Amino acid sequence: MANADAARPRDWVPVERRWLGLDRATIPPALVVLALAILMAVVVPAVDHAVPGGTRVRAGDEVALRGGISFVPATGWILTDGVLRGREPRAGVGSTATVTDGPVALTVRTAPFTGTPTALLEQIKDTTDALNGSHGLHITGDVQAVQTAGGQRGVIARYRGTSSDGAIAAFVVDGTGVEVVVTGPPDVPGDPSAAIAGMIASIAPEGGAG
Amino acid sequence: MSDHDTLLAARTAALRESGWGEGFRFVQPRNLAFWVYLLLVGAGAVIWLRYASTEAAAYGEVLIVATVLFGLYGALFWWFTQRIDRYAHQSRKLIAIAFLWGAFAASWAMAANANSPILSLWGKAFGQAWSIDWGAGLTAPFTEELAKGFGVLLLIALAPRLVATAFDGFVLGAFIGLGFQILEDIQYALGSAGEQFGANAVDNAMSTILMRMALGVAAHILYSAVFCTGLVYFLGRPAEPRRRGRGLLLMGTAMLLHGLWDNIGGIAGSTGYLIPLLWVVVIGLAFFTVTRAFNLSVPRERSYMRAVMAPEEAAGTVTAEELDTLAGDRSVRKAYRKAARGHADRRRRDHLLEAAHDLADELARSGGRDDQRVRFARAELARLRAGAPR
Repeated sequence: MANADAARPRDWVPVERRWLGLDRATIPPALVVLALAILMAVVVPAVDHAVPGGTRVRAGDEVALRGGISFVPATGWILTDGVLRGREPRAGVGSTATVTDGPVALTVRTAPFTGTPTALLEQIKDTTDALNGSHGLHITGDVQAVQTAGGQRGVIARYRGTSSDGAIAAFVVDGTGVEVVVTGPPDVPGDPSAAIAGMIASIAPEGGAG
Repeated sequence: MSDHDTLLAARTAALRESGWGEGFRFVQPRNLAFWVYLLLVGAGAVIWLRYASTEAAAYGEVLIVATVLFGLYGALFWWFTQRIDRYAHQSRKLIAIAFLWGAFAASWAMAANANSPILSLWGKAFGQAWSIDWGAGLTAPFTEELAKGFGVLLLIALAPRLVATAFDGFVLGAFIGLGFQILEDIQYALGSAGEQFGANAVDNAMSTILMRMALGVAAHILYSAVFCTGLVYFLGRPAEPRRRGRGLLLMGTAMLLHGLWDNIGGIAGSTGYLIPLLWVVVIGLAFFTVTRAFNLSVPRERSYMRAVMAPEEAAGTVTAEELDTLAGDRSVRKAYRKAARGHADRRRRDHLLEAAHDLADELARSGGRDDQRVRFARAELARLRAGAPR
């Protein structure tokens, strides 16, 4: 009846409009929004995870990084982040690149830095410790000098994390800091150290890689 | 029916149609939209707090500076957006709900999860270089505009009478965009703090903060205002006839502007001077579009103001000039101010107009009934008109 309806409190949902106690009119829009959230948070990441990607490195390939830095990735490894020389985007190259070989990953990152390689390694350690706390990577071995094939001097240290071991190297090339992080499980099948050493040794200013 | 009765009936119809002055209760256990809102805003807030607490350990100073500066910046936009909502005012509670949706749900619980995987999929399909140039512009307009815009679907389900017109979509969309923008800006500031391996964190963040402040005027706030105006047109509301073509055009334009903005680097390429030129062009297009969306949607709100205050003009509480100004656009308000004779008269006329706005709000709150607050608002107008002291 109209009078009864007019007297109805605003938040009152008539019983014939309910489903499991919910106002039926509110279910479709709420489910549409929930479906979009599930699509974005679950389905899209799962699809990305399921699609294989990356570019297999061929002999002669060179990775270009911001700041005019490049390195020669090991043949047969997979480039999962970063761009190869000759295929640079119009917007300019990025500041990170990652190559992987099974569970082993080598990531190179560049940014302006004016200090020494030792100062850069200390800066990386401080930032990593602050960001990760006790869950982060902890430098365990001595810091050692390292030199690229082109004569760039840097430092390298081993580290240990909760689920992976590896090394961090730091160089400073013409005002550009270069961070190299190698990660992998403690027991890696095969010995990737020669390939890793080769990639680190190939770090050079633009045009000088290799 | 007398003329006065006709005016009163038109007032009642306008208030019923517009939802102006309606109260809003957020806690609605029988409303599924309430639970979905809580789930997604809660999830987004938890994710953001975890992110912010991690970053605070390394860049605490940057987090404080960015939060304070973008908080002030956001307050300025909040004031401005409330100011343009000058006719049938939107509920402040609903505006806050919209802001929180943009800040936490649309960004951290939705779009942020999809952006990186979609960029990764573009890279896998077309190569890293292509993804760097064009990936962002073909990802964010879809993930972010949909995540923000779908908030309006929930707001309609939560407050169907308060989201009655395309202009309600405009205002709520602007606040959803504001919430999104502020938290995204803070995230960008924190991201740039780590640019030099964490060295010179505050200096690096400050340049990003200033850049985002300068260029952010034409970003998420404008895109969402336009998108959500289009969404309301597309869906149609009891007070806003469905206009699918106009709705799609506005939503598509918002997405196109967002895509152009994100792809400026790819479009300009190595031609450095093109970037600032393109910034100016895209910002200009964004302002043109948002002005069009505003001008398209606001007349209905003005008609509500006129309908609510017309009986007051008939009764002599407000003058015809004041009614025209209350329900008029910027040029009418400007003419009203210019008609003042000297500073004191201008001040008096401004006060009269503000008091007339108060009366309109009180009438909306009371549903058009003459209750004690409405009578007091009328008395205030009479006092100001007579020049009597408080």
